[in-house]
Amino acid sequence: MPANSLLLSSSPSAFAGASTRKVMAAVVVALLPTTVYGIVLYGIPALLVVLTSVAASVLSEWGFRALIRKPVSIGDLSAVVTGLLLALVIPASTPLWMVALGAVFAIVVVKEFFGGIGANPFNPALAGRAMLLMSFPAALTAWTAPFSADAVATATPLGVYKTAEQALLQAGSGAAEAASSAMAQLLDKVGANDMGGLYWTMFLGNRSGSLGESSILLILVGAALLLALGVIQWIIPVAMIGSVFLGSWALGLDPVLAVLSGGVVLGAFFMATDYSSSPMTPKGKAFFGVGAGLLTVLIRRFGAFPEGVTYGILLMNALTPFLDKLRVKKFGFVPPAKPAKEAAK
Amino acid sequence: MSTKTFRGGAHPPERKERSAELPIERVEQVKQVVIPVNQHFGAPIQALVKVGDTVKRGQKIADSDGRMTCPVHASVAGTVKKIEPRMQPNNVEGLCVVIEPDGSGATEFMSPLDGFACTKEEALARIHEAGIVGMGGAGFPTWVKLAPPPNKPIDVVIANAAECEPYLTIDERVLIENPGDFVEGMAIVMRLLGVKRGVIGLEENKKHCVDGLEKAIAERARGAGIEIVLLKTKYPQGGEKMLIVAVTGKEVPSGGLPMDVGAVVQNVGTFVAVCEAFRDGKPLIERGFTASGGALAEAKNLYVPIGTVVADLVPEVLKVIEPKVRKVVAGGPMMGVPVPHWTFPIQKNTSGVLFLDASEAKAPAEDPCIRCGRCMRACSCRLSPALLNKALEAGDLDLAREIGVLDCIECGTCSFVCPAHIQLVQRFRVGKQLLRNKIAKEAKHAGK
Repeated sequence: MPANSLLLSSSPSAFAGASTRKVMAAVVVALLPTTVYGIVLYGIPALLVVLTSVAASVLSEWGFRALIRKPVSIGDLSAVVTGLLLALVIPASTPLWMVALGAVFAIVVVKEFFGGIGANPFNPALAGRAMLLMSFPAALTAWTAPFSADAVATATPLGVYKTAEQALLQAGSGAAEAASSAMAQLLDKVGANDMGGLYWTMFLGNRSGSLGESSILLILVGAALLLALGVIQWIIPVAMIGSVFLGSWALGLDPVLAVLSGGVVLGAFFMATDYSSSPMTPKGKAFFGVGAGLLTVLIRRFGAFPEGVTYGILLMNALTPFLDKLRVKKFGFVPPAKPAKEAAK
Repeated sequence: MSTKTFRGGAHPPERKERSAELPIERVEQVKQVVIPVNQHFGAPIQALVKVGDTVKRGQKIADSDGRMTCPVHASVAGTVKKIEPRMQPNNVEGLCVVIEPDGSGATEFMSPLDGFACTKEEALARIHEAGIVGMGGAGFPTWVKLAPPPNKPIDVVIANAAECEPYLTIDERVLIENPGDFVEGMAIVMRLLGVKRGVIGLEENKKHCVDGLEKAIAERARGAGIEIVLLKTKYPQGGEKMLIVAVTGKEVPSGGLPMDVGAVVQNVGTFVAVCEAFRDGKPLIERGFTASGGALAEAKNLYVPIGTVVADLVPEVLKVIEPKVRKVVAGGPMMGVPVPHWTFPIQKNTSGVLFLDASEAKAPAEDPCIRCGRCMRACSCRLSPALLNKALEAGDLDLAREIGVLDCIECGTCSFVCPAHIQLVQRFRVGKQLLRNKIAKEAKHAGK
């Protein structure tokens, strides 16, 4: 009979076989379609942005963990996810040193300073993008036209739409003409004849924008994989996209265009669902999604930038610890007796 | 037939095919029995015999007159050799009576009692005297469950035939081989409680037991009112609270008991024991269990005297492949207790012994929580395990209490699904103890 050689680990003795690495690998796979499409759209510079961002993320995590003498955790692939996500939300023309800086900031300052995986209050990739956008506004809003061999400066559909909408806001004669000419420019830009064609082109993704946000179709393919694997839940994306749609409609904007343009769909499925920085409870998720969606719309409509997804999600990240208090009622929940009742006894 | 269930849960690999088809084997001859004096959930009792005494099979050897107790009987005729602490299947040492059989087979059962003609008091006393406890795992004295206070009317008796633990097939075999005694015992309990409705909660993977059970019910007039409800095959469907909510739609209130929603739940084996206690006057001195796992050459469903030492069954009955044994578990893989060796006795609530090999028993290192929320969706008690764990890590026992650490049934589903392999259940066990200590301390303070 073996002595001291048997496992005495606590029950359960069976495990589902899930691991952090498998979860992160699933996210990477889900992001591949839109990543590859981004590289197709913008060519070698896009590929370099992706490689730089991932490499800088992984190396900085490894370096920092080694520096503070903590077990190196790059094997869990979470740094790969962060690096990939950062690359997908910045223009393909971003200088590589800026990309690396953003990745190091995301990993070291936003993730590791707070304790590493699972402990970061803000989404590292989005915080990295926010830092870059504030530091280098010009580089981070320089958009390349799709399929152009050399970098041709262009405007995103969202940017054009914002111009049109701003024009409409200008009281006075000529506003309507200015707006319709901007819209015509928008249609022309994507080579569509009418709004239906515009929506379709936007859905398929032949438009300029951040590296990985263009093709709604391919983002949804990846999202469907994550939903099917149970890696993410539907609540946050549906709440966020739904509130962007309704909020835009309420403010008199084109709700379909609002959802299809910018980073709403990418953000809703891949950023707002970040485990560490979003609530775990179903009610908390619903509030989070609605809040992020409405903030996005408000920033787009009244803010200085055409896009508001990044700040919408980051602001809601700050509320996550509070939203996690909206727990599901436990099995057999009995409401606590009211003190007045007890006093009456 | 539609299947019923509860919210949450998981589906661990069943691994029942190894033993599901094997008939129960009776082990008659054992070289000794080691009978723990305390095998029930409740107040401790005392040994009634001393070293050197000759005891008969069925003779009471330990008892106490306290409430929440249950007597223990000799499972073989022989001589008391030792009364000393030995390791029990819960991996804790407890006083055991060691009896060496003398081969006489002298038996001392109670006289038979008609469970349908006697008074309710007589019936209850019989179940108490027979030393019957919940045989599914917890070992709760059955007679206490069957004596609810008058302000708690019972309207349904539920047979827990879910057997949701992987590997274990003993309840399934009893249902196939002995459905008559099972239904008879259920009818006796229903009559004792004055209940018209009986429900057999069966997981869907044991659908093939339905025909035999329906026949056993139809054969006897006393079976009227007993129905079979198919349950979704999902762990922990056999948890008392999950079974009740699946069958009745009612949730046992937090901190309450099944009787608060008018239900009494008993395990399959318990009903058979009740039947035998009345018909044969036989106390609970034998039980069936499943021996399985990858480190066992062949799995078995066995029926042995209580107190049979597992190691004594090796190698004649159980062929343990020693080099392959990585973990030994008393019970099922989800809730069973890991033990350091297999020299321990089968007691009244031991439903299985698993010899797991390296591929079955893993002990992955804990990683940081990634807040994926799988535990929260899997928790059958809807307790937000990740948040509970965080509260306990922060030492916030009040928050842990508010979230519901005391409601945790320790089913292990959260630990099972956790991708970071955090030992959530173990942490909650510790948390419960810390919180109970704190509550006791505060009560002491308040009393001053």
